[in-house]
Amino acid sequence: MVEPMIETRELTKIYGDLTAVDGLNLTVNEGEFFGFMGPNGAGKTTTILMLMGLSVPSQGTATVGGYDIVQESKEVRKIAGQLPEFAGYYEDLTPRQNLDYVGQLNGLSRTEREERIADLLEDVGLTEWKDMKVEKFSRGMKQRLGIAQALIKRPKLVFFDEPTIGLDPAVTKEIRDMILRLNREQGLTVFLSSHLLHEVQLTCSRVGIISRGRLVVTDTIENLTNKLGGEVGESIEFKLHKTTPELLEELETVEGVTSVTQENDRLYVHMERDSTMEVSQTIFKHGALILLMKPREHTLEEIFMKYYQGA
Amino acid sequence: MAEVLVVSRKEVADIFGSKRYLILFALILLLSTFSAYQGAEYIRNNPEAGFLAIFSGAGFGFSFLQWMIFFGPLLGLALGFDAINKEKTSGTLSILLSQPIFRDSVINGKFLAGAAALATLTVSTVGIMCGLAIPMIGFGPTLEGASRVVLLSLLTVLYLAFWLSLGLLFSVLTKKTSTSMLSSVATWLFFTIVINILAYLIASLMVPVPSSMFRTGDLEGQGLDIFQSPEYLELMQRRIAVASTILKVSPINLYSEAALAILGVVQVLPGMDAPSVASGLAAIWANIAAIAVGLVVCFAVSYVKFLRSEIRPGG
Repeated sequence: MVEPMIETRELTKIYGDLTAVDGLNLTVNEGEFFGFMGPNGAGKTTTILMLMGLSVPSQGTATVGGYDIVQESKEVRKIAGQLPEFAGYYEDLTPRQNLDYVGQLNGLSRTEREERIADLLEDVGLTEWKDMKVEKFSRGMKQRLGIAQALIKRPKLVFFDEPTIGLDPAVTKEIRDMILRLNREQGLTVFLSSHLLHEVQLTCSRVGIISRGRLVVTDTIENLTNKLGGEVGESIEFKLHKTTPELLEELETVEGVTSVTQENDRLYVHMERDSTMEVSQTIFKHGALILLMKPREHTLEEIFMKYYQGA
Repeated sequence: MAEVLVVSRKEVADIFGSKRYLILFALILLLSTFSAYQGAEYIRNNPEAGFLAIFSGAGFGFSFLQWMIFFGPLLGLALGFDAINKEKTSGTLSILLSQPIFRDSVINGKFLAGAAALATLTVSTVGIMCGLAIPMIGFGPTLEGASRVVLLSLLTVLYLAFWLSLGLLFSVLTKKTSTSMLSSVATWLFFTIVINILAYLIASLMVPVPSSMFRTGDLEGQGLDIFQSPEYLELMQRRIAVASTILKVSPINLYSEAALAILGVVQVLPGMDAPSVASGLAAIWANIAAIAVGLVVCFAVSYVKFLRSEIRPGG
């Protein structure tokens, strides 16, 4: 039986006349890698702030690790770590001193802190710079320090708010792999907020899409893709050794085919039901050879755009 | 409780390592040394003056008291004006508050650290002044004098802590550190300069000199004697009374009155003993209470504001 790590009920946050989060109902299970997706300003950060007890919900309730986020927010912060979107560190201190302060605030003893900090600096690859002041750090190095900072309390759950924003591709991959390892090897529950579809597709087992404060859908990426396939039909991508206008014309008359489009050297045949056999027969009839043929998978982008526009 | 200590320990380390504090501290030490020399000089020239005159006696420059009256506000404000908003803009506050601590530990810890730094500054300044002046004048304070020195130090710490809490309030109320810095400087200028001008302006508006006093005919005969007339002198005294009532709201004024009373240099006529410590304290009890109330109000407002403040996305 998997325990829910996060459970929200009608969680709502209103700033003046702006409803940042609107009746959010969400469950994230222990050990899950959950992707929280949505465009900028959709309410992702506000949700995390409420769950961490930094912002008080206007309505609704939520629990994190079984603790109420309002009544027991201090308990929540004992088991949950956070890497905020615009996190900053004490610039005139070294990473070790920064981590030591966070460790002290978590009530770790001196020996525990020394051990833990050495391990974490090693894990995030900052050992070399452990005594350099943070003001000289690059953005990537600061982000690594941010991950170490979130983990010093040995959390059960970590919120990452846009962790790879503004980083170069090499560091992005490194950070992403680091977070994935934490989830797979240590069983850490990860709540990743991101507007980067690619990132979510690579890491998350389940996603929730939020738009203008409302949760539009939550499901696994696989289910979302299939669902979208069922609604908008399937597409097959062809590469032929030659295409003629007559072939295109006849393809469109094949039963089940809705449209045919040509992009560069590729031909896309869109169908409302599986008519792959008829399509290839028609191509063959016109004397064209099939060089490549593959079903086109729906990207998260399509799913995302569909739900985003739908909301 | 442990959380407050963790925060204040870090803050104290920050303050003592910061260039800002070191510059202020160096400046104050330098000026105190000058004041000690001047005070000692003053005592040599005025044999009736007791040991305590090293704090108030001034020759060509400012005394310790005058420095504190004038620069004390800047000291306190300098340690408080960016306490909260700097952490907010630099993004460290969201990490700090993501730890298992109560939010008030942050503001309490910061205030405690600032107050500790100001107390250190006061005590070491007073200590250095005594250390310099005693060999120069050849005698130390009596037991009563020593108790007055202790009381003066406590009063000074309270006064500086008031300005610290005002600075803290600015740091909670404003988003940018530049805004809170400007507010601090403006407040300082207001209480050191503007309020005096304002007080006399209001007084002269409230107690006008009636034009009947300047009847044209009279000017011919009496000349400038009008300025010596009892009616005119009474008007002027009423003006001074109004102005000093207005000035009573100034913490600077409250402090200087109280400090002079504690030192016992108020209304000391030749051949008369200075008022005793107890009677001096009794006379300025209201002043001390007023400064303390100001401190508590500033701190309480910042406390409530900070606890209720929303940590919004993007800082």
